[in-house]
Amino acid sequence: MGKHASSGKYAIVGLGVIAGPQPDRSERMIAAEAARLAIADAGLTRADIGGAIDLRRTGGGGDRANYSDAFTRVLGIKNNFYFTCGRGGALAGLGMAAAMSYLDRGIADYVVLMGAVTDWSQSQETRKKGFRGMAHAEKRGYWGKPLGDSRAVSHHSWMAARHMAVYGTTSEQLGAISVAERQWACMNPEAKMYGRPITIEDHQSSPLVAEPYHLLDMSQVSDGGIAFILTTADRAKDCARPPVYVLGQGFGEVSADLWWEKKNFTHMAVEPAKKQAFSQADITLDDVDCAQLYDCFTAEVLFQLEDYGWCKKGEGGAFVADGNMAPGGSIPVNTGGGLLSCYHLGDLTGLAESVRQLRGEAGERQIEDCDIVLTTGHGGELVSPGMCSIHTCTLLGRHA
Amino acid sequence: MNVNPQSYTVDLDWKKPYPSIDHDNEAFWDGLKEHKLLVWKCQQCGAVYWPKAYCQNHENEPFAANCEWTEASGRGKIFAFNIHHWAFHPGFKEEVPYVYALIELEEGPLISSQLVGDDLPTDIHKIGQTVEIVYEDHPAQGFTLPKFRVVRG
Repeated sequence: MGKHASSGKYAIVGLGVIAGPQPDRSERMIAAEAARLAIADAGLTRADIGGAIDLRRTGGGGDRANYSDAFTRVLGIKNNFYFTCGRGGALAGLGMAAAMSYLDRGIADYVVLMGAVTDWSQSQETRKKGFRGMAHAEKRGYWGKPLGDSRAVSHHSWMAARHMAVYGTTSEQLGAISVAERQWACMNPEAKMYGRPITIEDHQSSPLVAEPYHLLDMSQVSDGGIAFILTTADRAKDCARPPVYVLGQGFGEVSADLWWEKKNFTHMAVEPAKKQAFSQADITLDDVDCAQLYDCFTAEVLFQLEDYGWCKKGEGGAFVADGNMAPGGSIPVNTGGGLLSCYHLGDLTGLAESVRQLRGEAGERQIEDCDIVLTTGHGGELVSPGMCSIHTCTLLGRHA
Repeated sequence: MNVNPQSYTVDLDWKKPYPSIDHDNEAFWDGLKEHKLLVWKCQQCGAVYWPKAYCQNHENEPFAANCEWTEASGRGKIFAFNIHHWAFHPGFKEEVPYVYALIELEEGPLISSQLVGDDLPTDIHKIGQTVEIVYEDHPAQGFTLPKFRVVRG
C-alpha cells in the first residue's frame, strides 16, 4: 500500500522532562519549566514557538482553570494558538495529531506540547483526610461512587479478572509484567523505582488492593512534567538534536462497544489504531524495535501484547512469563520502567522514552539499532458508563 | 449484615460519595426508592439498555424516542468481580474488604454494584453465579442504593 504522504513529514525535535516530587511547584510552573527545557533542547528560543498545546488528563471539570489559561504567560511565549487537550492517558497522541494539523497549515512553525501533574503532592495532602491514591479527584459523575467504585482500579481489575477467568491467566503472570518493568527501571536513574528490583514473590506478597490486583499491579501517582517540540521535517534538520520522525498515528474508540455490550473486557481498541498507524508508516510489527505500551495496570500491557499480535489472544500470560518484554526479550516493553516503575504522566511517559531510545540517549537500557518505536496511550475507563475509551498508537522513527 | 429481607434501612450519617442524579437518570433513582429496578427498553424491538441510551437497532430515530423505563427482574449473573481491600475513600473504611461486581442482568445489560451477604468475601463466589437485588434504603438522604446478594441453590 505504500507510505502515506504524511509519514515522516513531522518530527519531534525537543524534549524536556521534570521528574520526581515537586512539592513546592504548581502544575503551571512545572509545565513551563519542562517547556523551557524542551525549547532549549531543540536549540530554539521562545520567539520561535508559534503554538502551545496543554496536555491535561482531565476530560472536564473546573480544575483546569488552575493553570491552563495562565500557561503561556508563565512561559512567556507569544503564540498563534493555545488550547488544552486530553482524555485520560491519551494526552500526547491526541495533542500530536492536533499539532501536526497546525504545522500542516503553516499556522505555526514550531509547536510546544506539554503536560504536568502534581498528583503525588496532592495525594500526600488528601491522605491526611483518609483518602488514598487519587480517590479525591472525582467527586461526582460516576455511577458506582456510593457503591464503592474506585474508578480506574475497580474497572481495570474487572478486566484482569475476566482475562483470568476466560484464559486462565494467573496473578504470577501479571507479576511478570511488573517485574520486567522494574528491571527496566533499574537501568533508568530517572525512574522512581531505580535501584529497587523486585521478584515475583515481592509481587505476590504485596498487599491486595482490588483483588485480583496487588499493589504491584498498579501504576504510581507522580509529580512531574514533560514537554515536546514538534516541527516539520525540513525545519527539523536544522535543529540541535536528531529529529524523531512521526511515521504513523492511529486511533481507536470503543464507543461502539460500550460496556452494556460486553465486548470489551479482555482487549483494548487496538485494531483500528494499529491499522491506521501501520499502513501510514508502511511497516509491520516485525519492524518495531521496542514498544512503550500504556500500563495503568499490569493487565493492560498483556492485552496490548495480544491485541497487536506479538502473541495470540489468551497467550499473553505465558508470553510475559517467558521474559519476552524484559531486558533481552523478543520485544522490549516500557524500557524506561513505564507508569508502573518510572513515573506516571499519561502517554507522555512512553513518548519521552521513545524519543530517548530513538536518539540513542537511553544509557544502559538503550536498545541496539533502535529505528522504530511504537507508543500507545489509553484514555477513559473501558467500562465506565460515563466515559468512552480511546486507544492511541504512535509510530516514531529515526529515519523519515 | 443480615440481608435476608429484600430490603433494609440504613440510617447513618452518610459519609460516602453521593449518587450523581441528573435529568437522564432521575427516573431510575425514583424507581429504586419504590424498590423497582428500572432499565431502558425499546418499545419497538424489546432491546434493553442501561444506563439510558438509544436503541441501536433503529437507524436515526429521534433520540431515545423508542425507549422507556421498565421494571427489570432484579436478577442477573456475576460477569466480573473484584475484592476491594483498600478504602480509597474514607467512607468505605468500615466495609473493606468488600466485593464490587459487574452484573449481567437477566434482561441483558451490565450494571455494577456491591455484593452484600453475611459470608462475604470469604465465601468466594465465581463468575456466572446468580445474584438478585437488595434495596438499601437511605430515607434521610433521599435515595435507595441497589445492592446485590448471591442466590443460593
